Amino acid sequence: MADFEPRIVAFCCNWCSYAGADGAGVARLQMPTNFRIIRTMCSARVDPEHVLRAFSKGADGVIVLGCHPADCHYIGGNYRARRRIALLRMVLEQYGFDPKRLKLEWVSASEGEKFQKTIVEFVDTIKELGPTPLKGDE
Amino acid sequence: MGVVDKLKSVFKKKDGEAAPAAEAKAAPAAAPKAAPAAAPVVAAGESTMDGSVYAKASALGPIPGYVPGLGAPEGGKIKVALYWAAACGGCDVSVLDSDEKILNIGAMADIVMWPIAADGKEKDIEEMEDGAITVSIINGAVRNSENEHMVKLLRKKSKLVVAYGTCAAFGGTPSLANLTGGAQDILDYVYTKTPTSADFQAQYHADKPVIPQTEIQVPEGTLTLPVLYDTVKSLDQVIDVDYYVPGCPPTQETLAVLLDAVVGFVYKGEALPPKGATIGTTKKTLCEECPRHKENRRIDRIYEPHEVDVEPDLCLMDQGILCLGAATAGGCGAKCTRAGQPCRGCYGPTDAVSELGASVFTAVASLFPVIEEDPTCKEDKIIEIMSSVKDPLGYFYAFSMSKSLIKRSVKEGGQ
Repeated sequence: MADFEPRIVAFCCNWCSYAGADGAGVARLQMPTNFRIIRTMCSARVDPEHVLRAFSKGADGVIVLGCHPADCHYIGGNYRARRRIALLRMVLEQYGFDPKRLKLEWVSASEGEKFQKTIVEFVDTIKELGPTPLKGDE
Repeated sequence: MGVVDKLKSVFKKKDGEAAPAAEAKAAPAAAPKAAPAAAPVVAAGESTMDGSVYAKASALGPIPGYVPGLGAPEGGKIKVALYWAAACGGCDVSVLDSDEKILNIGAMADIVMWPIAADGKEKDIEEMEDGAITVSIINGAVRNSENEHMVKLLRKKSKLVVAYGTCAAFGGTPSLANLTGGAQDILDYVYTKTPTSADFQAQYHADKPVIPQTEIQVPEGTLTLPVLYDTVKSLDQVIDVDYYVPGCPPTQETLAVLLDAVVGFVYKGEALPPKGATIGTTKKTLCEECPRHKENRRIDRIYEPHEVDVEPDLCLMDQGILCLGAATAGGCGAKCTRAGQPCRGCYGPTDAVSELGASVFTAVASLFPVIEEDPTCKEDKIIEIMSSVKDPLGYFYAFSMSKSLIKRSVKEGGQ
Protein backbone atom coordinates (compact mmCIF):
# COMPACT_ATOMS: atom_id res chain seq x y z
CA MET A 1 0.00 0.00 0.00
CA ALA A 2 2.93 2.29 0.68
CA ASP A 3 3.77 2.63 -3.01
CA PHE A 4 0.16 3.13 -4.05
CA GLU A 5 -0.13 6.18 -6.24
CA PRO A 6 -3.80 6.96 -6.82
CA ARG A 7 -5.14 8.12 -10.15
CA ILE A 8 -7.56 10.95 -9.64
CA VAL A 9 -9.75 12.76 -12.14
CA ALA A 10 -10.40 16.39 -11.24
CA PHE A 11 -13.18 18.26 -13.00
CA CYS A 12 -12.58 22.00 -12.73
CA CYS A 13 -15.04 24.66 -13.80
CA ASN A 14 -13.62 27.13 -16.26
CA TRP A 15 -14.47 30.30 -14.37
CA CYS A 16 -13.33 29.62 -10.82
CA SER A 17 -11.58 26.36 -10.05
CA TYR A 18 -9.53 26.08 -13.22
CA ALA A 19 -8.28 29.60 -12.64
CA GLY A 20 -7.66 28.63 -9.02
CA ALA A 21 -5.58 25.66 -10.17
CA ASP A 22 -3.72 28.02 -12.47
CA GLY A 23 -3.11 30.33 -9.54
CA ALA A 24 -1.72 27.44 -7.51
CA GLY A 25 0.67 26.68 -10.35
CA VAL A 26 1.79 30.26 -10.82
CA ALA A 27 2.41 30.56 -7.09
CA ARG A 28 4.48 27.33 -7.31
CA LEU A 29 2.53 25.66 -4.56
CA GLN A 30 3.70 22.09 -4.01
CA MET A 31 1.14 19.32 -4.41
CA PRO A 32 1.00 15.67 -5.43
CA THR A 33 0.81 14.91 -9.14
CA ASN A 34 -1.82 12.18 -8.89
CA PHE A 35 -4.59 14.16 -10.51
CA ARG A 36 -5.55 14.92 -14.09
CA ILE A 37 -7.62 18.04 -14.61
CA ILE A 38 -10.50 18.08 -17.04
CA ARG A 39 -11.74 21.59 -17.65
CA THR A 40 -15.48 22.00 -18.01
CA MET A 41 -17.40 25.20 -18.57
CA CYS A 42 -19.31 24.72 -15.33
CA SER A 43 -19.46 22.15 -12.54
CA ALA A 44 -22.98 21.44 -13.77
CA ARG A 45 -21.46 20.33 -17.08
CA VAL A 46 -20.07 17.31 -15.27
CA ASP A 47 -22.60 14.70 -16.25
CA PRO A 48 -22.97 11.86 -13.77
CA GLU A 49 -22.01 9.68 -16.71
CA HIS A 50 -18.57 11.34 -16.78
CA VAL A 51 -18.00 10.48 -13.15
CA LEU A 52 -19.24 6.90 -13.50
CA ARG A 53 -17.13 6.45 -16.62
CA ALA A 54 -14.07 7.67 -14.77
CA PHE A 55 -14.68 5.08 -12.05
CA SER A 56 -15.44 2.35 -14.57
CA LYS A 57 -12.12 3.05 -16.30
CA GLY A 58 -10.26 2.59 -13.04
CA ALA A 59 -10.02 6.03 -11.45
CA ASP A 60 -9.35 5.77 -7.72
CA GLY A 61 -11.14 9.00 -6.97
CA VAL A 62 -13.03 11.78 -8.67
CA ILE A 63 -13.12 15.35 -7.45
CA VAL A 64 -15.45 17.98 -8.83
CA LEU A 65 -14.48 21.59 -8.24
CA GLY A 66 -16.77 24.53 -8.87
CA CYS A 67 -17.46 28.14 -7.96
CA HIS A 68 -18.59 28.92 -4.45
CA PRO A 69 -22.35 28.92 -3.89
CA ALA A 70 -23.87 32.20 -5.09
CA ASP A 71 -20.77 32.73 -7.20
CA CYS A 72 -21.57 30.64 -10.26
CA HIS A 73 -20.87 32.25 -13.61
CA TYR A 74 -24.17 30.76 -14.81
CA ILE A 75 -26.09 31.81 -11.66
CA GLY A 76 -27.16 28.36 -10.49
CA GLY A 77 -24.95 25.73 -12.12
CA ASN A 78 -23.17 24.77 -8.93
CA TYR A 79 -26.51 24.25 -7.15
CA ARG A 80 -27.44 21.70 -9.80
CA ALA A 81 -24.04 20.08 -9.54
CA ARG A 82 -24.19 19.68 -5.78
CA ARG A 83 -27.59 17.95 -6.03
CA ARG A 84 -26.30 15.58 -8.67
CA ILE A 85 -23.18 14.82 -6.73
CA ALA A 86 -25.26 14.15 -3.61
CA LEU A 87 -27.33 11.64 -5.59
CA LEU A 88 -24.23 10.14 -7.16
CA ARG A 89 -22.62 9.63 -3.78
CA MET A 90 -25.71 7.76 -2.65
CA VAL A 91 -25.49 5.56 -5.73
CA LEU A 92 -21.75 4.94 -5.38
CA GLU A 93 -22.34 3.88 -1.79
CA GLN A 94 -25.04 1.48 -2.95
CA TYR A 95 -22.59 0.01 -5.45
CA GLY A 96 -20.20 -0.60 -2.56
CA PHE A 97 -17.75 2.25 -3.15
CA ASP A 98 -16.70 4.40 -0.25
CA PRO A 99 -18.55 7.66 -1.02
CA LYS A 100 -15.41 9.56 0.01
CA ARG A 101 -14.00 8.60 -3.40
CA LEU A 102 -16.20 11.31 -4.91
CA LYS A 103 -15.68 14.79 -3.56
CA LEU A 104 -17.24 18.13 -4.33
CA GLU A 105 -15.40 21.29 -3.31
CA TRP A 106 -15.71 24.99 -4.04
CA VAL A 107 -12.55 26.76 -5.17
CA SER A 108 -12.66 30.31 -6.46
CA ALA A 109 -10.29 31.87 -9.00
CA SER A 110 -8.22 33.50 -6.28
CA GLU A 111 -7.96 30.45 -4.04
CA GLY A 112 -4.79 28.78 -5.28
CA GLU A 113 -3.97 27.80 -1.75
CA LYS A 114 -7.34 26.19 -1.20
CA PHE A 115 -6.86 24.25 -4.43
CA GLN A 116 -3.55 22.93 -3.18
CA LYS A 117 -5.02 22.07 0.22
CA THR A 118 -8.02 20.31 -1.32
CA ILE A 119 -5.86 18.20 -3.62
CA VAL A 120 -3.42 17.26 -0.85
CA GLU A 121 -6.28 16.23 1.43
CA PHE A 122 -8.09 14.30 -1.27
CA VAL A 123 -4.97 12.41 -2.33
CA ASP A 124 -4.41 11.51 1.33
CA THR A 125 -8.01 10.29 1.66
CA ILE A 126 -7.69 8.11 -1.42
CA LYS A 127 -4.31 6.75 -0.33
CA GLU A 128 -5.95 5.74 2.92
CA LEU A 129 -8.84 4.05 1.08
CA GLY A 130 -6.51 2.17 -1.25
CA PRO A 131 -6.96 1.33 -4.93
CA THR A 132 -10.42 1.37 -6.48
CA PRO A 133 -12.33 -1.84 -5.84
CA LEU A 134 -13.03 -2.00 -9.58
CA LYS A 135 -9.42 -2.26 -10.66
CA GLY A 136 -8.45 -5.53 -12.30
CA ASP A 137 -12.06 -6.58 -12.64
CA GLU A 138 -12.24 -6.10 -16.35
CA MET B 1 -59.73 -18.35 -30.81
CA GLY B 2 -58.04 -19.46 -27.63
CA VAL B 3 -54.34 -19.77 -27.13
CA VAL B 4 -54.56 -23.55 -27.17
CA ASP B 5 -56.27 -23.54 -30.55
CA LYS B 6 -53.64 -21.19 -31.86
CA LEU B 7 -50.95 -23.49 -30.68
CA LYS B 8 -52.67 -26.46 -32.21
CA SER B 9 -52.68 -24.78 -35.55
CA VAL B 10 -49.01 -23.96 -35.15
CA PHE B 11 -48.29 -27.60 -34.43
CA LYS B 12 -50.49 -28.74 -37.25
CA LYS B 13 -48.68 -26.59 -39.71
CA LYS B 14 -45.39 -27.67 -38.31
CA ASP B 15 -46.20 -31.36 -38.34
CA GLY B 16 -47.65 -31.37 -41.83
CA GLU B 17 -45.54 -32.00 -44.90
CA ALA B 18 -43.59 -29.18 -46.39
CA ALA B 19 -45.94 -26.25 -46.67
CA PRO B 20 -47.17 -25.47 -50.17
CA ALA B 21 -45.16 -22.69 -51.68
CA ALA B 22 -48.31 -20.68 -52.29
CA GLU B 23 -49.07 -20.55 -48.60
CA ALA B 24 -45.59 -19.46 -47.76
CA LYS B 25 -45.82 -16.70 -50.32
CA ALA B 26 -49.17 -15.57 -49.04
CA ALA B 27 -47.87 -15.29 -45.52
CA PRO B 28 -45.50 -12.39 -45.91
CA ALA B 29 -48.20 -10.40 -47.59
CA ALA B 30 -50.50 -11.09 -44.70
CA ALA B 31 -48.03 -10.21 -41.99
CA PRO B 32 -47.44 -6.54 -42.83
CA LYS B 33 -51.17 -5.99 -43.35
CA ALA B 34 -51.96 -7.50 -40.01
CA ALA B 35 -49.52 -5.25 -38.24
CA PRO B 36 -51.31 -1.89 -38.32
CA ALA B 37 -54.65 -3.57 -37.78
CA ALA B 38 -53.46 -5.00 -34.49
CA ALA B 39 -52.34 -1.68 -33.12
CA PRO B 40 -55.45 0.02 -31.80
CA VAL B 41 -53.66 1.06 -28.63
CA VAL B 42 -53.86 4.74 -29.33
CA ALA B 43 -57.25 6.39 -29.48
CA ALA B 44 -58.28 7.98 -32.75
CA GLY B 45 -56.76 11.40 -33.25
CA GLU B 46 -53.61 10.60 -31.34
CA SER B 47 -50.93 9.86 -33.80
CA THR B 48 -48.09 9.26 -31.38
CA MET B 49 -47.86 5.53 -31.81
CA ASP B 50 -47.95 5.61 -35.59
CA GLY B 51 -45.50 8.44 -35.62
CA SER B 52 -42.96 6.56 -33.57
CA VAL B 53 -42.97 2.87 -34.30
CA TYR B 54 -43.92 3.07 -37.93
CA ALA B 55 -41.61 5.93 -38.65
CA LYS B 56 -38.87 3.62 -37.44
CA ALA B 57 -40.30 0.81 -39.53
CA SER B 58 -39.99 2.81 -42.69
CA ALA B 59 -36.50 3.79 -41.66
CA LEU B 60 -35.67 0.09 -41.81
CA GLY B 61 -36.05 0.28 -45.58
CA PRO B 62 -33.20 0.85 -48.01
CA ILE B 63 -29.89 0.41 -46.23
CA PRO B 64 -26.65 1.01 -48.12
CA GLY B 65 -24.26 -1.90 -48.23
CA TYR B 66 -26.97 -4.53 -47.93
CA VAL B 67 -26.11 -8.14 -48.68
CA PRO B 68 -28.51 -10.02 -51.01
CA GLY B 69 -31.23 -11.98 -49.21
CA LEU B 70 -30.93 -15.47 -47.87
CA GLY B 71 -33.95 -16.49 -49.93
CA ALA B 72 -36.63 -18.83 -48.72
CA PRO B 73 -35.17 -22.24 -48.01
CA GLU B 74 -36.51 -25.41 -49.60
CA GLY B 75 -40.08 -26.06 -48.62
CA GLY B 76 -40.73 -22.35 -48.44
CA LYS B 77 -40.29 -21.98 -44.73
CA ILE B 78 -37.59 -20.41 -42.67
CA LYS B 79 -36.57 -21.79 -39.32
CA VAL B 80 -37.17 -19.73 -36.22
CA ALA B 81 -36.08 -20.50 -32.67
CA LEU B 82 -37.39 -18.74 -29.61
CA TYR B 83 -35.55 -19.25 -26.39
CA TRP B 84 -35.80 -17.94 -22.85
CA ALA B 85 -32.81 -17.56 -20.63
CA ALA B 86 -33.13 -15.78 -17.25
CA ALA B 87 -36.58 -14.37 -17.88
CA CYS B 88 -40.02 -14.30 -16.36
CA GLY B 89 -41.84 -15.65 -19.41
CA GLY B 90 -43.53 -12.34 -20.15
CA CYS B 91 -41.63 -11.97 -23.42
CA ASP B 92 -42.88 -15.35 -24.61
CA VAL B 93 -46.39 -14.36 -23.66
CA SER B 94 -45.93 -11.15 -25.63
CA VAL B 95 -45.21 -13.27 -28.70
CA LEU B 96 -48.39 -15.26 -28.08
CA ASP B 97 -50.10 -11.91 -27.57
CA SER B 98 -49.67 -11.24 -31.27
CA ASP B 99 -53.17 -12.76 -31.59
CA GLU B 100 -53.95 -14.01 -35.08
CA LYS B 101 -50.55 -12.89 -36.32
CA ILE B 102 -49.10 -15.90 -34.58
CA LEU B 103 -50.64 -17.92 -37.38
CA ASN B 104 -48.52 -15.93 -39.80
CA ILE B 105 -45.49 -16.86 -37.78
CA GLY B 106 -46.57 -20.47 -38.07
CA ALA B 107 -47.14 -20.09 -41.80
CA MET B 108 -43.86 -18.40 -42.59
CA ALA B 109 -41.64 -20.35 -40.28
CA ASP B 110 -40.95 -23.68 -38.68
CA ILE B 111 -40.60 -23.03 -35.01
CA VAL B 112 -37.72 -25.36 -34.24
CA MET B 113 -37.51 -24.45 -30.59
CA TRP B 114 -39.76 -22.59 -28.20
CA PRO B 115 -39.57 -24.03 -24.70
CA ILE B 116 -42.72 -22.33 -23.45
CA ALA B 117 -45.01 -23.35 -26.29
CA ALA B 118 -43.57 -25.81 -28.79
CA ASP B 119 -41.42 -28.89 -28.83
CA GLY B 120 -37.81 -28.85 -29.90
CA LYS B 121 -34.98 -30.21 -27.83
CA GLU B 122 -31.39 -29.20 -27.36
CA LYS B 123 -30.20 -32.28 -29.27
CA ASP B 124 -32.40 -31.36 -32.24
CA ILE B 125 -30.66 -28.01 -32.41
CA GLU B 126 -27.25 -29.62 -31.96
CA GLU B 127 -27.87 -31.87 -34.93
CA MET B 128 -28.58 -28.93 -37.22
CA GLU B 129 -25.97 -27.48 -39.50
CA ASP B 130 -24.42 -24.18 -38.48
CA GLY B 131 -26.56 -21.31 -39.68
CA ALA B 132 -29.58 -23.54 -40.35
CA ILE B 133 -31.86 -21.36 -38.21
CA THR B 134 -32.70 -18.08 -39.92
CA VAL B 135 -33.43 -16.16 -36.77
CA SER B 136 -33.20 -16.93 -33.07
CA ILE B 137 -35.30 -14.67 -30.90
CA ILE B 138 -33.80 -14.90 -27.43
CA ASN B 139 -35.31 -13.30 -24.37
CA GLY B 140 -33.88 -13.17 -20.88
CA ALA B 141 -30.52 -12.34 -19.38
CA VAL B 142 -27.67 -14.84 -19.09
CA ARG B 143 -27.44 -15.94 -15.52
CA ASN B 144 -26.34 -19.56 -15.34
CA SER B 145 -24.35 -22.16 -17.25
CA GLU B 146 -27.44 -23.51 -19.00
CA ASN B 147 -28.37 -20.05 -20.31
CA GLU B 148 -24.84 -19.57 -21.56
CA HIS B 149 -24.64 -22.97 -23.23
CA MET B 150 -27.98 -22.58 -24.99
CA VAL B 151 -27.44 -19.05 -26.29
CA LYS B 152 -23.99 -20.00 -27.57
CA LEU B 153 -25.49 -23.03 -29.28
CA LEU B 154 -28.26 -20.97 -30.85
CA ARG B 155 -25.75 -18.34 -31.98
CA LYS B 156 -23.76 -21.03 -33.76
CA LYS B 157 -26.81 -22.43 -35.51
CA SER B 158 -28.44 -19.11 -36.41
CA LYS B 159 -27.92 -16.51 -39.11
CA LEU B 160 -29.52 -13.78 -37.03
CA VAL B 161 -29.87 -13.42 -33.28
CA VAL B 162 -32.33 -10.99 -31.80
CA ALA B 163 -32.07 -9.90 -28.17
CA TYR B 164 -35.78 -9.76 -27.47
CA GLY B 165 -36.97 -7.90 -24.42
CA THR B 166 -35.20 -5.77 -21.87
CA CYS B 167 -33.48 -8.62 -20.02
CA ALA B 168 -31.73 -9.82 -23.15
CA ALA B 169 -30.95 -6.28 -24.27
CA PHE B 170 -29.86 -4.64 -21.00
CA GLY B 171 -29.92 -7.31 -18.30
CA GLY B 172 -33.36 -6.33 -17.07
CA THR B 173 -34.67 -6.95 -13.60
CA PRO B 174 -32.60 -10.14 -13.07
CA SER B 175 -29.46 -8.03 -13.37
CA LEU B 176 -30.30 -6.28 -10.11
CA ALA B 177 -28.87 -9.47 -8.61
CA ASN B 178 -25.50 -7.98 -9.53
CA LEU B 179 -25.91 -5.75 -6.50
CA THR B 180 -25.81 -8.69 -4.12
CA GLY B 181 -22.65 -10.42 -2.97
CA GLY B 182 -22.89 -12.99 -5.75
CA ALA B 183 -24.34 -16.42 -6.37
CA GLN B 184 -23.41 -17.94 -3.01
CA ASP B 185 -24.89 -14.96 -1.20
CA ILE B 186 -28.17 -15.38 -3.07
CA LEU B 187 -28.35 -19.14 -2.48
CA ASP B 188 -27.64 -18.71 1.22
CA TYR B 189 -30.31 -16.08 1.52
CA VAL B 190 -32.98 -17.93 -0.42
CA TYR B 191 -32.40 -21.34 1.15
CA THR B 192 -31.57 -20.43 4.72
CA LYS B 193 -32.66 -16.88 5.56
CA THR B 194 -36.11 -16.29 4.05
CA PRO B 195 -38.69 -17.08 6.75
CA THR B 196 -40.22 -20.10 5.01
CA SER B 197 -36.94 -21.76 4.14
CA ALA B 198 -35.45 -20.89 7.54
CA ASP B 199 -38.39 -22.69 9.19
CA PHE B 200 -37.95 -25.65 6.90
CA GLN B 201 -34.22 -25.90 7.51
CA ALA B 202 -34.64 -25.54 11.28
CA GLN B 203 -37.27 -28.25 11.34
CA TYR B 204 -35.70 -30.84 9.07
CA HIS B 205 -32.04 -29.99 8.65
CA ALA B 206 -31.08 -28.28 11.86
CA ASP B 207 -27.54 -29.67 11.75
CA LYS B 208 -26.73 -28.72 8.17
CA PRO B 209 -29.00 -26.72 5.86
CA VAL B 210 -29.82 -28.24 2.52
CA ILE B 211 -28.79 -26.11 -0.44
CA PRO B 212 -29.14 -27.33 -4.03
CA GLN B 213 -25.92 -28.80 -5.41
CA THR B 214 -24.86 -28.41 -9.01
CA GLU B 215 -23.68 -31.99 -9.15
CA ILE B 216 -24.53 -35.11 -7.17
CA GLN B 217 -23.74 -38.80 -7.48
CA VAL B 218 -26.67 -41.23 -7.41
CA PRO B 219 -26.64 -44.98 -8.20
CA GLU B 220 -27.87 -44.23 -11.73
CA GLY B 221 -25.05 -41.80 -12.46
CA THR B 222 -24.32 -38.11 -12.01
CA LEU B 223 -27.14 -35.60 -11.76
CA THR B 224 -26.39 -31.99 -12.57
CA LEU B 225 -28.03 -28.62 -12.24
CA PRO B 226 -26.92 -25.42 -13.98
CA VAL B 227 -24.33 -23.33 -12.13
CA LEU B 228 -25.60 -19.93 -11.00
CA TYR B 229 -23.23 -17.11 -11.97
CA ASP B 230 -22.17 -14.20 -9.77
CA THR B 231 -22.81 -11.63 -12.47
CA VAL B 232 -25.93 -11.47 -14.61
CA LYS B 233 -25.09 -10.51 -18.18
CA SER B 234 -27.03 -9.13 -21.07
CA LEU B 235 -27.12 -11.29 -24.18
CA ASP B 236 -24.55 -9.24 -26.10
CA GLN B 237 -22.05 -9.65 -23.28
CA VAL B 238 -22.02 -13.39 -24.02
CA ILE B 239 -22.70 -13.76 -27.74
CA ASP B 240 -22.78 -11.60 -30.85
CA VAL B 241 -26.23 -10.00 -31.19
CA ASP B 242 -27.65 -8.68 -34.46
CA TYR B 243 -30.70 -6.77 -33.28
CA TYR B 244 -32.14 -5.46 -30.07
CA VAL B 245 -35.82 -5.29 -29.27
CA PRO B 246 -36.21 -3.70 -25.84
CA GLY B 247 -39.38 -3.61 -23.82
CA CYS B 248 -40.74 -5.35 -20.78
CA PRO B 249 -42.24 -6.96 -22.71
CA PRO B 250 -41.81 -5.56 -26.24
CA THR B 251 -45.05 -4.26 -27.66
CA GLN B 252 -46.94 -6.17 -30.31
CA GLU B 253 -46.20 -3.42 -32.79
CA THR B 254 -42.49 -3.87 -32.25
CA LEU B 255 -42.78 -7.58 -32.85
CA ALA B 256 -44.67 -6.84 -36.05
CA VAL B 257 -41.89 -4.51 -37.17
CA LEU B 258 -39.30 -7.18 -36.42
CA LEU B 259 -41.21 -9.90 -38.27
CA ASP B 260 -41.85 -7.59 -41.20
CA ALA B 261 -38.14 -6.94 -41.46
CA VAL B 262 -37.32 -10.65 -41.41
CA VAL B 263 -40.11 -11.55 -43.84
CA GLY B 264 -39.15 -8.74 -46.18
CA PHE B 265 -35.57 -9.87 -46.10
CA VAL B 266 -36.19 -13.56 -46.64
CA TYR B 267 -39.01 -13.50 -49.15
CA LYS B 268 -38.60 -10.17 -50.91
CA GLY B 269 -34.88 -9.56 -50.65
CA GLU B 270 -35.36 -6.27 -48.81
CA ALA B 271 -32.48 -4.85 -46.86
CA LEU B 272 -32.22 -5.70 -43.21
CA PRO B 273 -31.70 -2.97 -40.67
CA PRO B 274 -28.00 -2.35 -39.99
CA LYS B 275 -26.43 -4.81 -37.59
CA GLY B 276 -26.73 -3.72 -34.00
CA ALA B 277 -29.89 -1.72 -34.64
CA THR B 278 -32.49 -1.33 -31.96
CA ILE B 279 -35.90 -2.09 -33.34
CA GLY B 280 -39.05 -0.39 -32.19
CA THR B 281 -37.53 2.54 -30.34
CA THR B 282 -37.48 6.18 -31.32
CA LYS B 283 -34.46 8.45 -31.33
CA LYS B 284 -36.11 10.78 -28.85
CA THR B 285 -37.23 10.08 -25.33
CA LEU B 286 -40.55 8.89 -24.07
CA CYS B 287 -41.59 12.49 -23.24
CA GLU B 288 -41.99 13.06 -26.99
CA GLU B 289 -44.90 10.63 -27.17
CA CYS B 290 -46.28 11.08 -23.68
CA PRO B 291 -49.58 13.00 -23.90
CA ARG B 292 -49.16 14.67 -20.50
CA HIS B 293 -48.32 18.37 -20.54
CA LYS B 294 -45.38 19.77 -18.69
CA GLU B 295 -45.37 22.88 -16.53
CA ASN B 296 -41.75 22.55 -15.44
CA ARG B 297 -42.73 22.68 -11.80
CA ARG B 298 -40.11 22.19 -9.13
CA ILE B 299 -40.57 19.51 -6.52
CA ASP B 300 -39.34 19.26 -2.97
CA ARG B 301 -40.01 15.62 -2.36
CA ILE B 302 -40.71 12.42 -4.25
CA TYR B 303 -44.10 10.74 -4.08
CA GLU B 304 -45.15 7.22 -4.91
CA PRO B 305 -48.13 7.11 -7.28
CA HIS B 306 -50.31 5.68 -4.53
CA GLU B 307 -49.55 8.60 -2.19
CA VAL B 308 -51.18 11.25 -4.36
CA ASP B 309 -54.21 11.66 -6.56
CA VAL B 310 -52.49 11.52 -9.91
CA GLU B 311 -53.71 14.34 -12.14
CA PRO B 312 -54.62 12.81 -15.49
CA ASP B 313 -53.06 15.34 -17.85
CA LEU B 314 -50.09 16.74 -15.97
CA CYS B 315 -46.52 15.48 -16.30
CA LEU B 316 -45.79 12.95 -13.57
CA MET B 317 -42.46 14.57 -12.74
CA ASP B 318 -44.31 17.84 -12.15
CA GLN B 319 -46.40 15.96 -9.61
CA GLY B 320 -43.34 14.67 -7.82
CA ILE B 321 -43.63 11.13 -9.13
CA LEU B 322 -40.28 9.76 -10.21
CA CYS B 323 -40.74 9.04 -13.92
CA LEU B 324 -37.77 7.91 -15.99
CA GLY B 325 -39.39 8.94 -19.27
CA ALA B 326 -37.06 11.89 -19.68
CA ALA B 327 -34.09 9.52 -20.01
CA THR B 328 -35.73 6.53 -21.69
CA ALA B 329 -36.01 5.91 -25.41
CA GLY B 330 -39.55 6.17 -26.74
CA GLY B 331 -41.38 3.74 -28.98
CA CYS B 332 -43.74 2.08 -26.55
CA GLY B 333 -46.48 4.65 -27.03
CA ALA B 334 -46.21 5.79 -23.40
CA LYS B 335 -48.49 3.02 -22.21
CA CYS B 336 -47.51 3.37 -18.57
CA THR B 337 -47.75 7.14 -18.28
CA ARG B 338 -51.11 7.11 -20.04
CA ALA B 339 -52.30 4.81 -17.29
CA GLY B 340 -50.92 7.09 -14.57
CA GLN B 341 -47.88 5.00 -13.80
CA PRO B 342 -44.38 6.44 -14.11
CA CYS B 343 -41.98 5.15 -16.74
CA ARG B 344 -39.51 2.70 -15.24
CA GLY B 345 -37.10 2.76 -18.15
CA CYS B 346 -37.61 -0.63 -19.80
CA TYR B 347 -36.87 0.73 -23.29
CA GLY B 348 -33.35 1.61 -22.20
CA PRO B 349 -31.27 4.70 -22.86
CA THR B 350 -31.40 6.77 -26.03
CA ASP B 351 -28.59 6.51 -28.57
CA ALA B 352 -26.96 9.68 -27.33
CA VAL B 353 -25.98 8.37 -23.90
CA SER B 354 -24.32 5.20 -22.75
CA GLU B 355 -26.43 4.44 -19.72
CA LEU B 356 -29.87 5.28 -18.51
CA GLY B 357 -29.20 5.88 -14.83
CA ALA B 358 -26.77 8.75 -15.28
CA SER B 359 -29.24 10.57 -17.53
CA VAL B 360 -31.89 10.25 -14.86
CA PHE B 361 -29.62 11.75 -12.21
CA THR B 362 -29.25 14.86 -14.28
CA ALA B 363 -32.96 15.20 -14.84
CA VAL B 364 -34.08 14.39 -11.32
CA ALA B 365 -31.49 16.49 -9.51
CA SER B 366 -32.45 19.53 -11.55
CA LEU B 367 -36.07 19.20 -10.46
CA PHE B 368 -35.25 20.12 -6.90
CA PRO B 369 -35.49 23.90 -6.57
CA VAL B 370 -32.73 26.18 -5.37
CA ILE B 371 -33.54 26.93 -1.76
CA GLU B 372 -32.95 30.04 0.29
CA GLU B 373 -30.19 28.42 2.33
CA ASP B 374 -28.40 27.23 -0.79
CA PRO B 375 -25.65 29.91 -0.75
CA THR B 376 -24.82 29.27 2.90
CA CYS B 377 -25.74 25.68 3.70
CA LYS B 378 -23.36 22.73 3.94
CA GLU B 379 -23.50 19.65 1.74
CA ASP B 380 -25.25 17.71 4.53
CA LYS B 381 -28.37 19.78 3.94
CA ILE B 382 -28.30 18.88 0.23
CA ILE B 383 -27.84 15.21 1.04
CA GLU B 384 -30.88 15.48 3.30
CA ILE B 385 -32.91 16.94 0.43
CA MET B 386 -31.75 14.36 -2.07
CA SER B 387 -32.47 11.53 0.36
CA SER B 388 -36.05 12.00 -0.70
CA VAL B 389 -35.06 9.76 -3.61
CA LYS B 390 -35.22 6.30 -2.10
CA ASP B 391 -32.93 3.59 -3.45
CA PRO B 392 -31.68 5.57 -6.46
CA LEU B 393 -29.53 2.72 -7.73
CA GLY B 394 -32.32 0.17 -7.72
CA TYR B 395 -34.83 2.61 -9.17
CA PHE B 396 -32.76 4.21 -11.91
CA TYR B 397 -31.15 0.98 -13.04
CA ALA B 398 -34.15 -1.29 -12.51
CA PHE B 399 -33.87 -2.54 -16.08
CA SER B 400 -30.33 -1.88 -17.17
CA MET B 401 -27.84 -2.88 -14.49
CA SER B 402 -25.88 -5.22 -16.80
CA LYS B 403 -25.36 -2.37 -19.25
CA SER B 404 -24.50 0.25 -16.64
CA LEU B 405 -20.96 1.61 -16.52
CA ILE B 406 -20.10 -0.03 -13.19
CA LYS B 407 -22.14 -3.21 -13.88
CA ARG B 408 -22.10 -4.78 -10.43
CA SER B 409 -21.52 -4.17 -6.75
CA VAL B 410 -17.94 -3.78 -5.61
CA LYS B 411 -16.21 -4.34 -2.32
CA GLU B 412 -13.84 -1.83 -0.78
CA GLY B 413 -10.61 -3.07 0.72
CA GLY B 414 -9.51 -6.06 -1.29
CA GLN B 415 -10.28 -7.73 -4.56
